[in-house]
Amino acid sequence: MSGGGARLVVVPTVTVLAVIKARLIGATKGHQLLKKKSDALTMQFRQILKRIVETKEMMGETMKQAAFALTEAKYAAGDNIKHTVFENVSSATIKVRSKQDNVAGVKLPKFQHYTEAGETKNALTGLARGGQQIQLCKSAYVKAVELLVELASLQTSFLTLDEAIKTTNRRVNALENVVKPKLENTISYIKGELDELEREEFFRLKKVQANKKKVADRELKEKLDAAGRVADKLAARAEEVVSMLTANGKDEDVIF
Amino acid sequence: MSMYGFEAMSFNIKDGFLEAIVRGYKAGLLSAIDYNNLCQCETLDDIKLQLSGTDYGNFLANEPSPLHTATIVEKCTQSLVSEFSYMRTQASEPLATFLDYVTYGHMIDNIVLIVSGTLHERDVQELLDKCHPLGMFDSIATLAVASNMRELYRLVLVDTPLAPYFAECVTSEDLDDMNIEIMRNTLYKAYLEDFYNFCKKLGGATATIMCDLLAYEADRRAINITINSIGTELTRDDRRKLFSHFGLLYPYGHEELAVCEDFDQVRAAMEKYPPYQSIFSKLQFGESQILDKAFYEAEVKACVLGYEQQFHYAVFFAYVRLKEQEIRNIMWISECVAQNQKARIHDGIVFIF
Amino acid sequence: MAMSQEGKLVAMIADEDTITGFLLAGVGNVDLRRKTNYLVVDSKTTTKQIEDTFKDFTSRDDIAVVLISQYIANMIRYVVDNYRNTIPAILEIPSKDHPYDPNQDSILSRVKHMFSSDPASASRG
Repeated sequence: MSGGGARLVVVPTVTVLAVIKARLIGATKGHQLLKKKSDALTMQFRQILKRIVETKEMMGETMKQAAFALTEAKYAAGDNIKHTVFENVSSATIKVRSKQDNVAGVKLPKFQHYTEAGETKNALTGLARGGQQIQLCKSAYVKAVELLVELASLQTSFLTLDEAIKTTNRRVNALENVVKPKLENTISYIKGELDELEREEFFRLKKVQANKKKVADRELKEKLDAAGRVADKLAARAEEVVSMLTANGKDEDVIF
Repeated sequence: MSMYGFEAMSFNIKDGFLEAIVRGYKAGLLSAIDYNNLCQCETLDDIKLQLSGTDYGNFLANEPSPLHTATIVEKCTQSLVSEFSYMRTQASEPLATFLDYVTYGHMIDNIVLIVSGTLHERDVQELLDKCHPLGMFDSIATLAVASNMRELYRLVLVDTPLAPYFAECVTSEDLDDMNIEIMRNTLYKAYLEDFYNFCKKLGGATATIMCDLLAYEADRRAINITINSIGTELTRDDRRKLFSHFGLLYPYGHEELAVCEDFDQVRAAMEKYPPYQSIFSKLQFGESQILDKAFYEAEVKACVLGYEQQFHYAVFFAYVRLKEQEIRNIMWISECVAQNQKARIHDGIVFIF
Repeated sequence: MAMSQEGKLVAMIADEDTITGFLLAGVGNVDLRRKTNYLVVDSKTTTKQIEDTFKDFTSRDDIAVVLISQYIANMIRYVVDNYRNTIPAILEIPSKDHPYDPNQDSILSRVKHMFSSDPASASRG
């Protein structure tokens, strides 16, 4: 029994056995549920992975277009336009709001870009030269920001899910490899102990029975002996009678 | 052409040397073969190698790899600045003043940069580093002592060559909350008018050619301001105020441009002006992007034409414009190469010959 | 679907051109202490400056996303790889001179790693 691995330290009684059995049922159910959760998360995870890879590929193209839009703006408006753009920075007009999505009990942070109200300072930049290109460049980069914020969202979900899946799997593994075997070991230990007790009881009963039989035998023997003695006595008496009869007459056989 | 006779007698005494120099510079601009070779380049280092075979020489020799487009553009600009400075130091009046006028456009950009930077409390040295080298003037560093626009004007701007442009166009009450782009263009309007009048006073071939070139510049700005202000906060009146009071479009074209509300109205308004009608006719509907290049092409053509005549100052102005276009071309080619967009390489090059 | 009340910023560590583009889009921010949400990296920028800025951006609570040019991320790869928080999110972006290479991306390489071992590995944890 001791070779069966780790078990809980318990008093092996029928009551405890019932408790442990209930716990095993609980652990098994928990294991199944967690396994399901893990599967759900993994599915979500895989979808996000697919979208990350797609979006990252798209990002390459979008950024390339944006970079070239800037080249076109610089060509039309002059290289110095960048200084004007840097001077015009005050408060961000594109910002990010975060919210949370719930997947199988895991809170996934999500980013959402939004544009703050108000005229941007660059509306008139390049007024006499290249203004149109600057606006085109601006929209190209706004598009890039939108994509990048979406990508950031996916990436954050990816990391959160990754973490959640690892935790869940750790629990699944713990239930599967530690908790459940431990409970099972405990159950078999208790069962073993109980069997042992039962066997001892049986042996004792047998012993008692054997004792009882011995006593009974002896009594029987005594009774038999006593009976034997009576029989002997009777036999002796009978012989006496026979000898007396024989002494009285030879024909006495005929009588019997 | 008899009116040019007297110039020809005396021009070379003072300005003949520099005219020869500037014609030499112009002959050193990249040729069709150079552009063809540049377009074959696969990397920026190829471009460096290619340029080292031209008048630029080994100007990139000390630049470490990886080379960046910005470095190439910066070094090309330096080459223009050193050529220009050489001519400026050799020049006697009135060519010296004429050359100063050529730089005022950059000076306006620098002042606007420093003004807005100062109001945003930026580091002065950082701002000076960003200034265009052609637009520097002695007191530029002191610009940063002022913390508001009125002080800036009273303490610093009055001593700059641009002071009259501020005085004429901007009442100092407006200065503080004026949009920086409106300030820039108000200054530029006054500058163009001043330069125009200066050239007219010089007379002769300089006046004829320069007034045409500046008229083109004024008209182009008017058209661009119109197109770029459509759908913005700029009102019709504000828009009209930014137009210089000369040029082919002055005054009737300005009235028409002031009321335009979309690109096609601008195109329709320009139907009556042959030089601009021909530029707009190159564009398909909705192709406003190509307008910039079409304007550059017309400018280059006009500048090159200036070299047909002798004994005038327009060649100096034209040279700066042509060289700036060349730098733009090199920037475009380098960016196309660096960004792997070689399919677009011919969309930006304006040939200069 | 809880919304956080305050909008957050997108910060940037990139070359001048890339930042110019994003500033044009309206991402740039300067606060009252003149602190910006971007760092322009050029040949004069030291690795230490980049690292400090990265750490600063990733510890600010008004920033939700940090965009960093991939070639710059490569300069401080050990810092980027060791960054384990989910917010602010770090995003490696291409720059015009350096086309995007998915193999260098610290997130994507983790993805690759998961897929390159057996498909069940993702659920093994």
